[in-house]
Amino acid sequence: MPANFVAFILNAHLPFVRHPEYPRFLEEDWLFESISESYLPLLRMFNKLKADKVPFKFTISLSPTLCCMLTDPVLQERFVQYEERLIELGEKEVERCGNEQPEFLEMAQFYLAQAKQNLSDYQDLYRTNILDGFKALETSGHLELVTTAATHAYLPLYTEYPTAINAQIELGVQSFLTTFGHLPKGFWLPECGYYPGLEENLKYHGISWFQTASQSMLLSPDKVQHGDYRPVRCPNGVAAFPRDFQGTSLVWSNTSGYPTDKAYREFYRDIGYDLPMEYIKPYIHEPSVRVFTGYKYWAITGHTDQKVPYQRSEARKRVAEHASNFIYNLKKKGQQLSRAMDESPLFTLAYDAELFGHWWFEGIEWLDQVIRLAAKESEEISLVTPSLFLAKEGTGLQTARPAFSSWGQGGYSAVWLDGSNAWTYRHIHKAIERMEELAVRFNDQISLKQRFLNQAAREVLLAMASDWPFILFNKSSTEYAEKRVCDHLRNFNVVYGNMCKNAVNTEWLVKAEKRDIIFSDIDYNIFNPDR
Amino acid sequence: MILINIDSLSTTELQYIAQQEGLATWQSLDREALIDALEEAFEDQDDEVPAALKGKINRNRYCNSLTDYRGTMQHINGLPGVEELPESYYDTSIHLLLRDPQWAYAYWSLSQSAMHTVFGEEGELDGSLFLRVQETVLDTSEIKTFDIAITGEDTQWNINLPNMGSSYLVDLCYRDHKGNEMSLAQSKSVETHPPYWQNNGEQLALDENLFAVHFSSLVTKEGEIVDNAVIRDIAQFLSKGVL
Repeated sequence: MPANFVAFILNAHLPFVRHPEYPRFLEEDWLFESISESYLPLLRMFNKLKADKVPFKFTISLSPTLCCMLTDPVLQERFVQYEERLIELGEKEVERCGNEQPEFLEMAQFYLAQAKQNLSDYQDLYRTNILDGFKALETSGHLELVTTAATHAYLPLYTEYPTAINAQIELGVQSFLTTFGHLPKGFWLPECGYYPGLEENLKYHGISWFQTASQSMLLSPDKVQHGDYRPVRCPNGVAAFPRDFQGTSLVWSNTSGYPTDKAYREFYRDIGYDLPMEYIKPYIHEPSVRVFTGYKYWAITGHTDQKVPYQRSEARKRVAEHASNFIYNLKKKGQQLSRAMDESPLFTLAYDAELFGHWWFEGIEWLDQVIRLAAKESEEISLVTPSLFLAKEGTGLQTARPAFSSWGQGGYSAVWLDGSNAWTYRHIHKAIERMEELAVRFNDQISLKQRFLNQAAREVLLAMASDWPFILFNKSSTEYAEKRVCDHLRNFNVVYGNMCKNAVNTEWLVKAEKRDIIFSDIDYNIFNPDR
Repeated sequence: MILINIDSLSTTELQYIAQQEGLATWQSLDREALIDALEEAFEDQDDEVPAALKGKINRNRYCNSLTDYRGTMQHINGLPGVEELPESYYDTSIHLLLRDPQWAYAYWSLSQSAMHTVFGEEGELDGSLFLRVQETVLDTSEIKTFDIAITGEDTQWNINLPNMGSSYLVDLCYRDHKGNEMSLAQSKSVETHPPYWQNNGEQLALDENLFAVHFSSLVTKEGEIVDNAVIRDIAQFLSKGVL
């Protein structure tokens, strides 16, 4: 038996952003940057490990909104155009740096090569559907793929509306089944948002496990035996895997985590902001909106705007050191825990997938080295998925109730319910109530009214996404987030108003269906509380 | 591909499309006449369709042509029927959302009849509005209440929850000038549960292994405790005897 089990769980999620009505849309870049900088490099890393016969187990949650966007021909075509622009920019940058800034030439060449590799992988290897790459790794036994709530709603703020919570879970599971051909065993709780009783709905949909925030065990009303270092079974048998805050913080902490090392690449210095407008204009957004291009040449250096050029060789040394340090810390902590627990500890390490590669440029190389080191020390460290852990060690787990919690600031719901976003719930809750009313009054409609009601259900679900209140709280793209929440609710009201008059706004419906291609087989009766 | 047969549309829907298509006489036409008029209108549009596509067009594509005809550049929210969100939904209700074990957020609205009751015919508050917070201690079922005065303009409030291990609900209440009180709406309840270790912290303080397993995971290597007020309280308790 290994001394320590380690379960990496990556949450790959982006809100549904798709605007074919515009030639280019700024917020669609969230998806393209994630594919380019995180998802494709992650797949390359996994495939290289597999080719090198390095054993590994990883868990990845792919949200239904992300899966929908990754398989949408409109966005797929736009990603190809995005990558082609990156290549064009890279070729110009190699020339420019060669002539004017040779200290940046190596990185310009690196980015250009990565963009070309990305485009080649995307078009030739995955035929524009990168989900096939994840599926193949699942089939080969390296990944456990799991789902999450339909639109990644923060569920503790909807406890008054069990039909809405059920709809989020049921559609999350259905969407996974449609995409991957089997039911998921695990369910990523959006933002680690848990409230007592949520497991009942998860069990109803065949879910065996979910992850929770670190403090969910110490704050449990029960005397949890092993803290965050073994999962517990909820009273209904579904397993809860608490996140190890200390282990996660080695990476996650924005003050002391590995990504803050001064040798690593500075995320916020990008030629999209640094170079003259006439040069960079074709690669940013209309009208002259400077954005990140991905071409970044500076190292973090320190808390100063005087940055030094990024040295890839130096950063790679730090990656090796940080990977070793991570393994060292796990082993050291594991020894302490084994003595204290008299059982092998499990470290559940949960992160957003986009942290690796996109935010932390060197993060994927770090993961690669951690996995390789773990493989070398397989007697002491065993990478597992939660399902595998349950199969090995699932009997005899303690039964206990996790506490209400999230991984957000303060550990509860304050991020998604504060002065910046509390106003949304008045409207979203009302839309849910009205959707329930429509589902009861007009149950089992067919043809046009069925489509109209299905669209209403989509609008409610899209308004519930946790991304909008988070962005409002975080004050990043607040105008867009506010518009999205309002638009979905206003659109819902179109259906409600028309159905109350027994009418269908056909023109609106057709346009709405064209825009929101998500959940194409949704059944609005899912909102019927009597169902 | 959107497959809509014009015969499957209700008369109301046909009237709406006819109105959108600019048929001046749409209100006076019966169902049959509406279908004929719309077919004629779409046949005219079909003349603008390239000959190669004409063979593919049939009666199943009316709604589709409606969209294509208008182009995809038109923003969906500029369409007729899409209106701004109302400030209030004018029903009488109050909702309580648990933000954390110490605070809940309440929002409410009043229907027209409730507004009439509260504000009277002249529209001036005839008494006072207040929130009555009811706490039920889960272990003992003991009930306590406290009131929060609000004004007619208020529609939301952050409510302090004094104790963990209790269930809370809120009544939106009105008190008339004679002192008579009535509940206009009641929220659903929210519950908070005290952590086991909050009342048994001495076990953690006295047992090194317990402490290592339960508390060390919540502290970074640099000594930063996970961001949580209750855990900070427990840490504060522990620091008196151990740290």
